[in-house]
Amino acid sequence: MKIVKIPKKKLDLFASILRQHWEIHAPVEQNGRYAFKPLTHWSEARLHYNRTILPPKKYFMPPRETMFHYREGKGYVPAQEELDQRLILFGVHPCDIYAINILDEVFGGKYNDPYFQTRRKNIGIIGVDCTPDEHCFCRSMRADTVEKGFDLFFTDLGEEYMTLVGTSLGDDMVLMAAPLFEPITAADIQKYKQVSSEKRQAFSLDVEIHDLPEIFELEYKSEIWDELGDQCLSCGSCSMVCPTCYCYDVADTVELGSKAGDRVRTWDSCLFHTHALVAGGENFREKRSSRIKNRFYHKQRGMVAEYGRPSCVGCGRCIVGCPVHIDIVQVINRLRGEDHANRG
Amino acid sequence: MNKPKVGIIGLTGCSGDQLVILNCEDQLLDLVGAIDIRDFLTATSANDTESRLDVAFVEGSVVSQKDEDLLRRVRERCTILVALGTCAVWGGIPTMDRDQDRPALLRAVYGDLNWEYDTCPAKALHEVVKVDLNLPGCPIEKDQFLATVANLLNGNLPLLPDYAVCTECKMKENNCLLIEKKQVCLGPVSVAGCQARCPSLNIPCVGCRGPCTDANLKSAAATYAENGVAMEDVIRKMKTFAPVPVSEQP
Repeated sequence: MKIVKIPKKKLDLFASILRQHWEIHAPVEQNGRYAFKPLTHWSEARLHYNRTILPPKKYFMPPRETMFHYREGKGYVPAQEELDQRLILFGVHPCDIYAINILDEVFGGKYNDPYFQTRRKNIGIIGVDCTPDEHCFCRSMRADTVEKGFDLFFTDLGEEYMTLVGTSLGDDMVLMAAPLFEPITAADIQKYKQVSSEKRQAFSLDVEIHDLPEIFELEYKSEIWDELGDQCLSCGSCSMVCPTCYCYDVADTVELGSKAGDRVRTWDSCLFHTHALVAGGENFREKRSSRIKNRFYHKQRGMVAEYGRPSCVGCGRCIVGCPVHIDIVQVINRLRGEDHANRG
Repeated sequence: MNKPKVGIIGLTGCSGDQLVILNCEDQLLDLVGAIDIRDFLTATSANDTESRLDVAFVEGSVVSQKDEDLLRRVRERCTILVALGTCAVWGGIPTMDRDQDRPALLRAVYGDLNWEYDTCPAKALHEVVKVDLNLPGCPIEKDQFLATVANLLNGNLPLLPDYAVCTECKMKENNCLLIEKKQVCLGPVSVAGCQARCPSLNIPCVGCRGPCTDANLKSAAATYAENGVAMEDVIRKMKTFAPVPVSEQP
């Protein structure tokens, strides 16, 4: 893997070179939180941030997406208006890149999703390393580092960003701005090791995921689920902000006075009482407790069976975004009988 | 093709939902092109109040015998009855304290004049007649009304969201007023469809669309109270637009 570095003060130049070919989106501050937004000036970008309100999945599977139009006499007309948009997400954290890699498995495996795939092809990713806050547990979920899923990956060495080149597109980006990049030195390598070790020690949350599927299986009838069911508002916030919640609902809209319309898919959540409601009125997960249990099982157990690892990446968004303080780390530790596992 | 005959009828209410229909300016011509509006007192004085209706949209809540009689007549003459707006769907603001002593209320407002008022504790339409579809909102959402007409014209009922405002609020990537600002935002228990109109403008949700089917009122109330708001006030706030049993849940 090619590794170079770029002085921080040259980042704005780098961004302006990239902007000749791509629209750049980066974390921008929004009333004390962060959100990926298109940049008008490089100075708006915040590469030191804890987490964005919505994960980058919003770029690959938007909250609402028209799949195709249907028109009388024309039949189905593909909706490709926004699919071709070429942009770069600048400043994606390892956990979020990891989450996109998981979505790759879901939307690129047995059932290939052309919408997701097209966007994935057209959107470049420049990752950036981060310092965990009190809600991060990506290290426990083995998602604190990534080996793939980015075009470039930046690690903060103080005055410079060490730059890992992950793809040929990333290499093109570096070549496009070749005079801005420098080779790394022995001192940089030392510094990198120091940064990496510091990050490892900065985690205050810890959760053991070894044998978690078995624990979930054993605790299927735990009273914890009923307690959570009483607490949960089924508001859907956790699913919306989760970087790997990929459920969607598909419905047709129809135009007034014609037989034309659109087929639209919208983010869905297994916490909604309508999620498992079928024709005839039968609901397979009528109770809130069974719905929240299903959400945790699918993340921590079902995905292990299907894809070999939990789909939770430990980004902490569901912990921060739950109005009633349901905390996945606490739930897992309680299921394990280790309520004290917070090292903080 | 015969255009479906439609009535837009108001019981006791502010007519705000009917005004939303009249405000569909860009779509009004399409609308009258697609449906035959027979009875719409707010818009025209030339009304046919007797004919059969394929669809009746009824706004307002039932607060008098006169309302109740009108509603029953409308039910008899229509095939599909749509409750239009939160008053029709839930009873709305008139139901917020409907269990209070009625004669005492009359005295408090009108003194000892002993006038005979045709008044009864407010009711939602479904408490009087069978309702086929609910279009909540104070006022209704233009898009949902138009989608409803378009779907009915194709023989379908529209699919309206039955999840919380939080979901739409998160889709818009808003800051959370409840978590970050500790405000009593009713988003987690109120039904979506408004695209989180108020929280998007930094105004906490007041629940004007009524609760979603599965609203966990008790847990939400406890959370608001945790933020330092008296439980009494929390319950009052949650009951502003719908007579929901906050304390008996879940």
